[in-house]
Amino acid sequence: MKTLLIMACALFSYYGLTAQNVSNFEYKDLENNSRSFNELKGEKLTLIDFWATWCKPCNKAIPELNKIYDLYKGKGVEIIGINCDGPRSISKVAPLSKSLQIQYPVLLDINSELKSELNILVFPTLIMVNSKGKIVWIHEGFVSGDTEIIISEIEKQLKEN
Amino acid sequence: MSRIILSFILLVLFWSINFRLQAQLNGNNLAEYQHGRLPNDTSSTSTLYDRLVANYNYKFLKASATIEQFNTPLAGSSYVNLSQFSLQYKLKPLEIKIGNYYETIGRGLLLRSFEIPGAILQDLSYRSRHYFNRDLLGISAKYNYKNFKTKILYGNPLNYVFPPTQSFNDRRSDAIFAINAEYSLKKQTIGIAAMKHTNGGNENVFLMGNVSGSITTGISYYTELAKNVSDFKMDDFSTQSSYAFYSSLNYSKNSFGLSAEYKKYNNFLIGSGINEPPALIKEHSYKVLNRSTHVLQPTNETGYQIELFYTFLNQSTLTFNNSIAINQFGNRTVFQEFFLEYDFPISEKHSAKVFADYAEDPFKLEEQRVSAGLSTDWKVFGNSSIKTDYEFQTFKRLGKKYQNHVCVLGYAYKSNIICNIVAEYSDDSFIVVGGSKIWIGGYLKYQVNDKNTLQVFAGERRGGPACNAGICYEVLDFKGVELRLTSRF
Repeated sequence: MKTLLIMACALFSYYGLTAQNVSNFEYKDLENNSRSFNELKGEKLTLIDFWATWCKPCNKAIPELNKIYDLYKGKGVEIIGINCDGPRSISKVAPLSKSLQIQYPVLLDINSELKSELNILVFPTLIMVNSKGKIVWIHEGFVSGDTEIIISEIEKQLKEN
Repeated sequence: MSRIILSFILLVLFWSINFRLQAQLNGNNLAEYQHGRLPNDTSSTSTLYDRLVANYNYKFLKASATIEQFNTPLAGSSYVNLSQFSLQYKLKPLEIKIGNYYETIGRGLLLRSFEIPGAILQDLSYRSRHYFNRDLLGISAKYNYKNFKTKILYGNPLNYVFPPTQSFNDRRSDAIFAINAEYSLKKQTIGIAAMKHTNGGNENVFLMGNVSGSITTGISYYTELAKNVSDFKMDDFSTQSSYAFYSSLNYSKNSFGLSAEYKKYNNFLIGSGINEPPALIKEHSYKVLNRSTHVLQPTNETGYQIELFYTFLNQSTLTFNNSIAINQFGNRTVFQEFFLEYDFPISEKHSAKVFADYAEDPFKLEEQRVSAGLSTDWKVFGNSSIKTDYEFQTFKRLGKKYQNHVCVLGYAYKSNIICNIVAEYSDDSFIVVGGSKIWIGGYLKYQVNDKNTLQVFAGERRGGPACNAGICYEVLDFKGVELRLTSRF
């Protein structure tokens, strides 16, 4: 039984070598409008930021993502914020987002459906998706100096696409 | 059970081999090795926990399975369990899921399911470890067409207190059947729900209604009322009745944000606790405050929470929170907390945070609880940064003063390598019997690549209540070594 389980794990890992795709999703934004990935995605690249109001590194990353958004807007790169606050803290998302002056759209995934779908394990997690919907880069956490890493990855992916 | 697991694995493997060119497999694995002592242990024990989640997508179909394993030398606590399995059909406007699923109704007054990423539960009674989640086992169907959304749920919610070594009847003693519908017009949404709940011989019927929306740019609201209507007394809101009311109002303008929330819960603990009304108590990231939280009492609680945010031009942020929870169990008790935090850049590369908190917590017999702290983040050469944290807390209990201290010294190289030394001190008589205690531990996180992360803890870790993603749970004291490997595929 245990051997079969180990074999199953190995096979899963082997077949999992190809990158995951992002399917279209739809959630409400801060103004109670339904918005979809297909509507918001970038022509070349889309950065999806998974965050929550109670997560301090997430809040620290937001002004940096704003800068990146300003830098690449109009160059085929878009950012989507996916907020994963549950019922306890979801009411703080809109006032905090507006106070932090988030420039890019923020969608509310109160049931953490997309988080589970894309195997998000920590907050914040930044996912980079190419024009074909394939996840090309994943970055977990946020500390000083990560902005440069994100920018360098965007440049790399823009050259490859 | 073994046959079911085996059949499921073979089915998934067969599927993956036949359709691998067109379909997609993904998932994650969490493996954790522990060698050490829990409270009351006289010798160290080695245990191994593993959780594999595998999802298989093929066009509009998806199959998922979660296998949990726990190995310990302690008799009766080891297991291999197919903790979750599901088959999903999703093609707009219909979505059907059979097996384990997560679903919350409204703000969780009637039903809340969740999964806390990375949290493994353990308790001294069962000496087993399992993932911290509450899912439902049954069937769900959703139909979303333009502005109309509806879902029908049938299933047994998980009582996470019991590990997989316990029987199905213990772990899933509740059963629900619920219908929820929502209609949105412009920026307003109205929702209704009905839920039948059974546990043992008890059967109850609940109704819920909510309205939410955006009034103008910067002002939004949410209001929800749920009631047990088994007695057909729709207008009875006396102390004997069972109901829950939650409302929030948000306002924002320029760099200012305000969130105001109100709660009134009366006899509203459903079954073994399948609902989770919003607690309206701030969830803190600071250690001394996170573990000092007030745990919601849905059987009798009234209160409010106000939080203000302001972001200055230099990107510094000011946060103020005030929350009150009033309980009436014989005596009237009032928990209240005032919290202020200022997060500011010291220069272009360095930043700092200061906080101050004052609380009265009669449940824990803590009077005049004062907490304060300072965190700094110094970007040093290249992509390295150094972090320092100091947190202090003092309070009075039955006329005697107690203190808690937390010191953290950390180093980070990008997000790839993070290491922290954490030292804690307490003379709280509820934690340490006579005298005081110091806990010292070291933590290392190494992100091998974007798919694998290794975490190591060595030393002694202080336990206590912990809150994560809006859910509070108990973490045990631990002394020893812990190794965790998280992989994504």
